[in-house]
Amino acid sequence: MSQYVNGMPQIDQEDRRQFLKVVGLTGAVAAGSEFTLSDLRGEVEGETAGELAAMGEAIRSDLVGSLDAALLGNELAALEGEIERLPELRAMGVPAQDSTEYQQLAEPGWAIHEHLVEVGFFESVEEHLPEFTPEHIASTAREFINTATLASALGELGYSETELTSTVVNVVNNKERLAMWVPTKNIPAGVEGFDPANIAPLHQRAAAGVLLWTDYLDTYLWQNEVLLTDTILDNNYGDLKQMYAGLHLLANAAEDLAGSQELSDAQLTAALSAGAAMMIVGQEDLTNDVMRITDEMRAPRTGGA
Amino acid sequence: MATIQQAFDKDPAAEAAQNIEMVEVEDGYTLTNLPDESITAQFDVDQIPERDVTQDDLDASAVDNDESWLMYGGNYQQQRHTSADVITPDNVEDLELEYLVQSGVSSSMEGVPIVVPGDPPVMYQTNGPNHAKAINARTGETLWSYTYANPQGLLLCCDANNRGFAVHGDKVYMTTLDSGVVALNRYTGEEEWYTSTGDHEIGYSATWAPVAYDGQIITGSAGGEYGVSGFVAALDPESGDEIWRTNTTPAEEWAGDSHEHGAGTVWMTPTIDPDSGMIHAPVGNPGPDFDGTVRPGPNRYTIGTLTLDANDGSIQWHYGESPHDVWDYDSSATKVRVNDVDINGETRDIVVSPGKTAWVYTMDAETGQLLERSEETTQHINMWKMVPHVDEDRRVAFVPGAHGGNDWQPPSYNPETGLMYFKQNNAPHEIFWEEAQYEAGQTYWGGGLNDWPDVDEPAGWNGNLSAVLAVDPVTGERVWRDWISQDDTSDYLWGGSITTGSGLTFAGLQTGHLVAYDGENGDRLWEFQLGAPICSSLSSWYDPSEGKQYVAAQVGGSGWLHGGRRGSTIAVFGLEE
Repeated sequence: MSQYVNGMPQIDQEDRRQFLKVVGLTGAVAAGSEFTLSDLRGEVEGETAGELAAMGEAIRSDLVGSLDAALLGNELAALEGEIERLPELRAMGVPAQDSTEYQQLAEPGWAIHEHLVEVGFFESVEEHLPEFTPEHIASTAREFINTATLASALGELGYSETELTSTVVNVVNNKERLAMWVPTKNIPAGVEGFDPANIAPLHQRAAAGVLLWTDYLDTYLWQNEVLLTDTILDNNYGDLKQMYAGLHLLANAAEDLAGSQELSDAQLTAALSAGAAMMIVGQEDLTNDVMRITDEMRAPRTGGA
Repeated sequence: MATIQQAFDKDPAAEAAQNIEMVEVEDGYTLTNLPDESITAQFDVDQIPERDVTQDDLDASAVDNDESWLMYGGNYQQQRHTSADVITPDNVEDLELEYLVQSGVSSSMEGVPIVVPGDPPVMYQTNGPNHAKAINARTGETLWSYTYANPQGLLLCCDANNRGFAVHGDKVYMTTLDSGVVALNRYTGEEEWYTSTGDHEIGYSATWAPVAYDGQIITGSAGGEYGVSGFVAALDPESGDEIWRTNTTPAEEWAGDSHEHGAGTVWMTPTIDPDSGMIHAPVGNPGPDFDGTVRPGPNRYTIGTLTLDANDGSIQWHYGESPHDVWDYDSSATKVRVNDVDINGETRDIVVSPGKTAWVYTMDAETGQLLERSEETTQHINMWKMVPHVDEDRRVAFVPGAHGGNDWQPPSYNPETGLMYFKQNNAPHEIFWEEAQYEAGQTYWGGGLNDWPDVDEPAGWNGNLSAVLAVDPVTGERVWRDWISQDDTSDYLWGGSITTGSGLTFAGLQTGHLVAYDGENGDRLWEFQLGAPICSSLSSWYDPSEGKQYVAAQVGGSGWLHGGRRGSTIAVFGLEE
């Protein structure tokens, strides 16, 4: 179970030390006990080998011209509007019986998802990006830290520096969990009778998972009110913020690719990889924090009285 | 003095079933030495009264008419309760063995004998591998015998199980291991029709008792370990034609095309509330079992109670007990419907579900909202702990194991006590994981399941393999629990209990004991040693001509884990008023 402050993962000294080690900072900055991503910007080493750029270039080459810029622009704007509603959803508490509040949150994401599926976006991304190796996670994190525009877009949606920092640290420090999410192209046939042809590409699974969980929340939270506590609802809020930070990075990257192309090739790769990682870790946290309610976590039984 | 009824010396149906061999294959079991065609052996079939079973008869089963037990769960609500009250806490010590039927087939014995009232009452029972009999329920005499000819190439995850007949009109209905339903003329044992509901070559099978309701035979789906897609279906009782089918893994609830292999099978008998026309179906695990990353999201409609409209199969609500499950924590036990219950000062209709998670979920029957979740019914040790597989030694022993808690064992309810009764397991399992790094040609799902006793017993485990227990579904209080220790047996506890109008709870144990409990406090009031594990789910009826209440149990080990020694016996006990 994640530990949260104001709905976001709480990171401690050991988390920070481990994170700084992963991104290659063991010197002066590492000595500080508190930092934000802005503090680290310019301190971490940028990409030198050009691997992220080559990946981004290949994706760009595949997809330029096939994406609908107007659709993505409109739906990204709608998604941003929904993300700004997250505090309202937390304030709402347990949804009413027929609530569709969480389904509304997911709607722009579904529209973006469907378009990206139609144009083969996810297949291209999976083809050109590696699995979540420690090296890829580290290089992605460094590029993300150094790209102010990626973080600032989330900042405009209400994510504080502290929240973004804790989200990125939480993701980077969960590299073993990310490694379990194997790209579909690497899944062998015939295991447990399961046909890999039916499995969506990795980044699509990350996004669809976020949206499926979101759609479920209206019903799930209402049905399970007798088990819920404020802590569980706070965690639900924090996990959603992580998941939707990741979904926004993905959508923002697709919209940029379709339109202005302001992101560099390396930044495109970083946005896609970091976005998927945030969506994956966020939904795993949601599963553990909100869906798997032990007797220790639940609200007390009322005894039917 | 009890009589022992041997199957007839020349019972070609029993002989054919006995000759069938179950052999282990890479992904489970298959059957060999199968008969080329189905076989019916008729004996004194003239004893069977020719009176068709009506919908009114079915509506009255077990509760309004204590002379009958016409379906798997006793009544549609699957309360497994007879209103018969000849056997009481005060006289149960006088309960005696009336007769034993030696079926002639030593195989899985998980079936519930159903009993059609008449003179004499007739028992229809099934056991593995799709062998069935009509029996004079007063004397134990076999009247006809039948073995279904399953095809070669079956894929069975767990055993050659069959859990019983449905009855309507002049027919009885049995699911078949090749994922079908066969209708037999109940007066003669002859086949009337057969309908395949799924392709057994890709892993579909069928083991549960179907249920006859309002001009439909309701059936389900099995094969969740083989990447099938689950469903509930209704067939025409006269022709076998499909009336409706509801898939449990609709595409919109899954990522990509993973719904095509999403499992969510319904491999136990659905519960029906005739007043509202609702079906409450028990749903199993999502597929693949242990790797959730290929099927992100809640995998809605798996592991829990799926409520359908019996008219057309449309989905009304679902309550999930383990969203996005990766422990094989099915919720396959039959659901129990109880109407007009006082909760928080309101009169509510409820559905009660025990799951492998070892809690009892009490839900509002109209909406699926959780009204209460019980105290733990078995131990919870390292619950939910082994995923996301990052523990340093990559191995965690946990309770309940992958077999629960409450696997398929059907619970019972007694309106006299207001309590639910469960047979559950408490043995630890370990899931271990190998490095997730992919290597060409190697399985990245590498790892597996260790079953007790081949585990490092977790701290705090009490050494008990199983328990029979009672829970108040309104308060969630665990009222009593009778532990079964590893010192007494190494087998697990399978099958279900029944309750009586006098407040008794009968349960067969893996120790071979058939036990009568005082339903109020769990005191064991009577026991009878039957010599092999009891994995079946019992039935009871009153025979007015004899003035006796009977209790029937099929005897013999079965199931996918620690089933114990095989048997081939149907034991019937009776007590005269």
